[in-house]
Order: sequence, then structure tokens, then C-alpha cells
Amino acid sequence: MKPKVLLGKVGLWSATAVASAAVMLCIAPTTARALNVPTEVTELGKNTYKKYCSPCHGEEGKGDGPLARSMLPKPRDFTRGAYKFRTTPSGSLPTDEDIFRTISYGVPNSTMIPWDILTEEQRLSVIPVLKSFSEAFEVRKPDAPVDVGLEVRPTERTIAEGKKIYEEKLECWKCHGVEGRGDGPSAGEQEDDFGFPIKPFDFTTGKFKGGNSSRDVYLRFTTGLNGTPMPSFAKELSDEQRWYLTHYVMSLVKPEDKEKK
Amino acid sequence: MIFVVFMRDYNLYTKFMINLTKPILILSVIVGFLCGDTQSSKDIYAGDTYTEIEVAEGGTVVGNVKYGGELAALSLNLYADMQVPDTSKPTSEKLIVSSINNGLKNAVVSITNIKQGKKKTVPLIHPLVDQQKNTFVPGTLPILAGTTVDFLNGDEELHNIHTRSTKNQPFNLGTTYKQRISRTFEYPEVIKLTCDIHKKSYAWIIVLDNPYFDVTDRNGYFEICDIPPGTYKFQVWHEELGNLEKEVTVHPKEITNIEFNYAQNW
Ligand code: HEC
Ligand code: HEC
Repeated sequence: MKPKVLLGKVGLWSATAVASAAVMLCIAPTTARALNVPTEVTELGKNTYKKYCSPCHGEEGKGDGPLARSMLPKPRDFTRGAYKFRTTPSGSLPTDEDIFRTISYGVPNSTMIPWDILTEEQRLSVIPVLKSFSEAFEVRKPDAPVDVGLEVRPTERTIAEGKKIYEEKLECWKCHGVEGRGDGPSAGEQEDDFGFPIKPFDFTTGKFKGGNSSRDVYLRFTTGLNGTPMPSFAKELSDEQRWYLTHYVMSLVKPEDKEKK
Repeated sequence: MIFVVFMRDYNLYTKFMINLTKPILILSVIVGFLCGDTQSSKDIYAGDTYTEIEVAEGGTVVGNVKYGGELAALSLNLYADMQVPDTSKPTSEKLIVSSINNGLKNAVVSITNIKQGKKKTVPLIHPLVDQQKNTFVPGTLPILAGTTVDFLNGDEELHNIHTRSTKNQPFNLGTTYKQRISRTFEYPEVIKLTCDIHKKSYAWIIVLDNPYFDVTDRNGYFEICDIPPGTYKFQVWHEELGNLEKEVTVHPKEITNIEFNYAQNW
């Protein structure tokens, strides 16, 4: 990447970071409220699930609804409690907030749309339904979310440090490719836990499934994506190094490439 | 704008951890369940509760697990006597059969219906699963429920360790050279470990709920001791060949010899 472009980006990020920190400070106290997730499966939940979710996720949550057949990625099979997008450590169940977030924002690059056509109450009501499909929620409960430290300011140095981690220390390129196109040497044969083919994410697209903020990216490689080959790198890095890696991964985004095609 | 929304939302997460503390049901009777790569755990361990007693007049069962098929001698990886296991191959071979006595390595022998017996002692020194030259060593590790296993990356490159269990919390962790990870397995389950970066390597952890078990050595031998006299069901599990079962009567202070044979039908 040309240094100029890069610096431009860095500038943008720091601006957003500052802006969002400000937003967090002033908005958070007023908007912060507990999500009111029903503790039991309700009629509303059942009906909402049946009408809006079961065509893909299946009546019993096995990911085998009538629409699922020719779909890739497959709709999530909820029976194992394996959720990709979490704030909790590798293997842990997700928190209700994690599930709520995915339902509300959807999963880019898949048929899972943001369910903002549903009311918040409806979105909350399906959470116990999803959980009832897996015995995992009976024997385990989610671990505490991982700590995300304060973001260090993205600079050329943090990106360079991140590159070293990506290429040497943790060898992300083996799956994601040196340029982040999802075409590393181990990329070809990847399968998810359900036996379906899965591709390491192509960072250049910039449409992160778990969200585009630096915090989202940080969380993805820290917690891993359960049910997929994407491991958690929880023990390997310090908080600072995680931000370096985050900045490097985000510097691989090249949306302009895609537009040309 | 979207960014702002995200930040707000995350703030919600961290501030409000609604803990749906569903009680953890500690099930003593565990129902088998379906898991793509994981075999039904029901097949391998005793489901009943187990009482610890002093075993003074215990007997011992020693034996041999054999793979009787003709095929064994032809197309499978053979181990000549005295040879050290060849870990330079990038995979754990499924069937490792001794060329001397057709003994089958890495079969897990256990007693499935024992109600009382010796103390369940979880090893203080954690059993180790090492990733060496893209191979998990050992390839099959039976453990008592509650045991902590250490996983070590012995290679100078990145590996990951990926499990797909349901009851025991699964995990998928990337590890670098000399990184050691400890995990405790609480529930009886048959668990497959894989490394996604080196697709061919995998291993099994068999979590059992009583201390009467062993894994066969490279000539197919096993030994289980301090068994209270009585008649029990002995079972062998092998990843490829499945299960075999046998009733065995154990006598006080005696050694009983048994043999299992995965015979010709293979
Ligand atoms: C048109 C098909 C479709 C419909 C309808 C649908 N989904 Fe999905 N859903 C998907 C697909 C496909 C994925 C997997 C995306 C991926 O893994 O990349 C998914 C994934 C999910 C996930 C997984 C999140 C994670 O962290 O792994 C949740 C939760 C979810 N859907 C909930 C719902 C709910 C609730 C509804 C109903 C309101 C619903 N979905 C309706 C297709 C659908
Ligand atoms: C074993 C192969 C493998 C390795 C090694 C690996 N990844 Fe991944 N990664 C994947 C796969 C597969 C996915 C896609 C999962 C999906 O689409 O659901 C993924 C997804 C991701 C995502 C999520 C993107 C999104 O859509 O939100 C991020 C971020 C990520 N990887 C970062 C990393 C980083 C950083 C490293 C190195 C520290 C790394 N990965 C190493 C296989 C791997």
C-alpha cells in the first residue's frame, strides 16, 4: 500500500476513534440499558422464530430449513451452541448480547440479513428459542467476555508491528494469504465443524462478518470463530500487540479493488 | 454513523451482563448425542454413578487386542519390534498393527459397568499432548473425567488445536512454538482434536468416568489392576474399528488374561 493512502487512513481512524470515544462518553450513560431477554421460551418467540427464522435455520434449529439447501455459507445449526461472533473466549457460549447483536446487524456476505424489520421485542424473544435448541446451554454457561483494553492510536508503527505478527509470529497468512485475500496455502481445504467448506475471510473486501469496527476485528481473532477453523489467539499476544494486529488487518482492506471489478 | 452505532452497542455489552444463570445440571447419566466427528459417548463409558471403596483383594486383568484381518499384514503401517514410532509421517495412521503378533495400538480398554472400586485419582502431572512434526503425540489419550491435559506445540511453526465437544467446552486455539495450554475435561465424551492448518493431523481424547481403563501399547497389550472381584463388561474402543465387548470375571488377587480380536470382517 502506498504510504500516502495509508496515512490518510490512519488519520481517518484516529478521527473516528476520538469521535466515537466522545460519543461513548456522552451517549452511553443515557442509552445504556439492560436488554430485556425473556428467560423462558415465549409464544412470541416461538412464532417469530417459526415465521422469520425457520425457513433457513429449520424448525428444530438444525440449519436445515427448506431454503438452506443450496445456500453457502449454511444457516447456522444451533444444536451445538457454536456461535461465531462473540465477546466470550474460544469455545464458550455467546452472551445474549452477542446473539442479539448478530440478529440486529446480520452477517454481511451471507443471506443472514439485519433483522431490523422486527421490533426489538421480537428480536429479543427469539434468543431463548435459539438457546433451547442446544443442550450446551443446559450444561454450560457463557464465560465472562474477554477484556478489550483501550485502543492504541493507529500509526504507521503500529501497522508495521502488526504486519510482523501477521507474517512471522502468528502466521495468519497460512490461511488468510500474505495480502489478506483468503488464499493462503492452508486455505483450500478448510471445513467448518458441520463439514461444509469454508473460506478464510478475504480482508480486502472490508465487509467483516462480525462488524467493521476495530473492536470487532480485535474480538474476532482474540475469541476465534467457534465452529470454524479460525482459532482464538488468546494467549499469544499482549493487549497492545492485539491492537497492532488489528490495525494491520484493517490496513489490508482495499475496497477500491472490488469496485473496479 | 454506523460506526457510532457499533460503539454504542458494545458499550451496552460491557456494561450489562445479564447473567442468565441457568443452573448447571450435573448429569450423572449422560445421554449420547450426535456430533459429526465425535462418536456417541454413550458407547464407551459407564453411565451409572460410581462409589469409591478400599480395594484390598483386587484382581488384575491383562490382555491383548488384536486386529485379525489379512489386510493388516499387507497395506497398513507395520511396526517391527524395537522400532521407535515413526512420527515423521504427517498423519496419525488409523490402524497401527504390530507385525509380530497382530497387536493393535491405540485401542482403549475400559470397564463399562463398574459401580464401585478404587479411588478416582486425577493425575497431578498433567498428561501431555504434543504436536510434533505436524502429528499429535499421543494419538489416543484416555483420561479420567476431571483430568487436566496440557497441549504443547513442539514445532517451530503455528498450529491450532480444535475440538468439537458439546458438553466439555470446545476450543480452537492457535499456538506458537513451545506454547503450552491446559484444559480440564469434566464430562465423559469422545473428543477429536484436529489442527486446521495441517489438515491430516488429529488425535483422540477419551474422557471416562471411572478409573478402570488403559490404552494398548504398540503390541496391543493393556493392563487394568485393583479391580474388586466380580463379573464386568470390558470394552475396547478403536477409532476405525469401533467397539468390542466381553464379560470377564475377576478373581481376588489373581491375574486374568483376556484377548479381544477385531476379526476378519474387516
Ligand atoms: C435467508 C436465510 C436466513 C434467515 C431467514 C435467517 N437466517 Fe440467521 N443465518 C443465516 C445464515 C446463512 C447464517 C450464517 C452466516 C455465516 O456463518 O456466515 C446465519 C447465522 C445466524 C446466526 C449466527 C450467529 C453466530 O454468531 O454464529 C444467528 C444467531 C442467526 N442467524 C439468527 C437468526 C434469527 C434469529 C433469524 C430470524 C429472525 C434468522 N437468523 C433468520 C441465514 C438466515
Ligand atoms: C486455520 C486457518 C486460519 C488461521 C491460521 C487464521 N484464520 Fe482467520 N479465519 C479463518 C476462517 C476460515 C475464517 C472465516 C470464518 C467465516 O467465514 O465464518 C476466518 C475469519 C477471520 C476474521 C473474521 C472476519 C469477519 O468476517 O468478521 C478475522 C478478523 C480473522 N480471521 C483474523 C485472523 C488473524 C488476525 C489471524 C492470525 C492471527 C488468523 N485470522 C488466522 C481461518 C484462519
